[in-house]
Amino acid sequence: MSRFEIYSPEGLRVDGRRWNELRRFECRINTHPDSSDGSSYVEQGNSKVICIVNGPMEPSSKAEMSTSKATLKISLNVTPFSSIDRKKRSKNERRIQEIVTSLKRTFEQSIIVNKYPRTTISITLHVLALDGGLLSSITNAITLALIDAGIAMYDYISSVSAGFYNNTPLLDLNQLEESDVSFLTIGVVGKSEKLALLLLENKIPLDQLESVLAIAIAGGHRIRDLMDKEVRRHGDLRLSKLANK
Amino acid sequence: MAKGIEVSINEKSFVFDALKQGIRLDGRKLEDFRNVDITLGDEYGYVDVRLGKTRVVARISAEISTPFEDRPFEGLFTVSTEISPMASAMFENQRQSDDELLISRAIEKAVRRSGALDLESLCIIAGSKCWSIRADVHFLDYDGGFIDASCIAVMTGLQHFRKNDITVSGEQIVIHSVEEREPVELSVLHVPICVTFAFFNPEGVEENIKGESNNEIYIVDTTLEEDLLKDGVLTVAVNKNREVCQISKAGGLPMDALTLMDCGRKAYDIAVELTNQIKKLLEADYKRRNEGIQYKLRAENDRITVE
Repeated sequence: MSRFEIYSPEGLRVDGRRWNELRRFECRINTHPDSSDGSSYVEQGNSKVICIVNGPMEPSSKAEMSTSKATLKISLNVTPFSSIDRKKRSKNERRIQEIVTSLKRTFEQSIIVNKYPRTTISITLHVLALDGGLLSSITNAITLALIDAGIAMYDYISSVSAGFYNNTPLLDLNQLEESDVSFLTIGVVGKSEKLALLLLENKIPLDQLESVLAIAIAGGHRIRDLMDKEVRRHGDLRLSKLANK
Repeated sequence: MAKGIEVSINEKSFVFDALKQGIRLDGRKLEDFRNVDITLGDEYGYVDVRLGKTRVVARISAEISTPFEDRPFEGLFTVSTEISPMASAMFENQRQSDDELLISRAIEKAVRRSGALDLESLCIIAGSKCWSIRADVHFLDYDGGFIDASCIAVMTGLQHFRKNDITVSGEQIVIHSVEEREPVELSVLHVPICVTFAFFNPEGVEENIKGESNNEIYIVDTTLEEDLLKDGVLTVAVNKNREVCQISKAGGLPMDALTLMDCGRKAYDIAVELTNQIKKLLEADYKRRNEGIQYKLRAENDRITVE
């Protein structure tokens, strides 16, 4: 159907990766130290996301306040220039709303919310460039920004997508592959095999699901390690600055 | 989520302790689906589904309209799912809550995006005329399991529905009435069935994140009370051909991947059972309708009236 060969007989994908290879994953934390409590920048292949975390702070209205736990506020802005067809996406679009709700429910479980009663934690996301893996790059960016903000969490949530094409599972799809391959997105908790998030929108044979999940979990662990490395690098940097003073 | 509906701490611990012993308040086992009671209306495409106390009515209708410009060969199919306060006080008019959003998205993804209805068969004249099929789902009573019930209702409705026959000559379309020509059925490619699992965590968050025990409990087809107490939820849409059409675990309690796979297999068993139930029901309905016609056409018919 497509002009592109999704997975060649030699075992190569459109961008030259093998089936089990992630795209280039780069991340930075504390990118906006003056304007926010925590911030991060994530590049997953050609997808680029900025995340800003403010809080825990006093809620703007009493109605949003919960006496037992912190309330999360997530706003997701997919910029019109992020994809090839320049299209303005409203924040009220149902797909965006669904992503926001899923993220809220994911992070309500991974942040120790009962440590911050009567507060709001506000998370703002800007998707600068989108090349597949919208949900996964956002999830990773939020995890990093929350860590930077010093908000108590149980563990990392690392997220990655995986698809299934012609009897082979494919890890971390880009936009081209996403349009042709049925895929799922998962959010793994730390180094465990527990999933906080699991979304699948297209058809996958039930018996193949396990192999796709397995490769996705392995990919999730790899991304967790990469994020952990950046967090530690930044920690060392701060420590050395303190020591020099 | 619910305003005005709250479960007390006593009730909560009661439900939890029962679940730990593998008992549910309505006497079902943890993995039992409630009895599904499907009633077909006299009109084509009217389905009334009762799942315990939950009641959902789906109504399928068809009209002729113009296809989207970028998809000239496809007809239109919309599912409208608006939950009114009639179902339960926890739903508000006009304002859509997070739960409502997830419910309507789940139905839309399971039925529409999985291609259950063959849209290309709805095309009449490419680029200018096509059938527009509309499924209106009305939620009449709520006791958990809206996604499952409405998915069954819509899929049964689509298989039951007959649209008027048409003849095309050039740019002209003639729509034949039901009396004139036997109406035609829609081409339904597969029947996805949604099964919702709820997760409970008996041992606290620390154990869930760090522990190895995987003692989390999962139950199938929650009632309202269980639904309000649950820690996480997973919806799987699967069809008879062992294809998973949709999975959605939007946050909530982190669960082990292998447990989730188990849920997938359980969902398949339930889906097969329900698909067969729907099929039998539709066959019985078909028979009843056709017997009626033959009865009308029988010659004895007249003699009986003469007597």
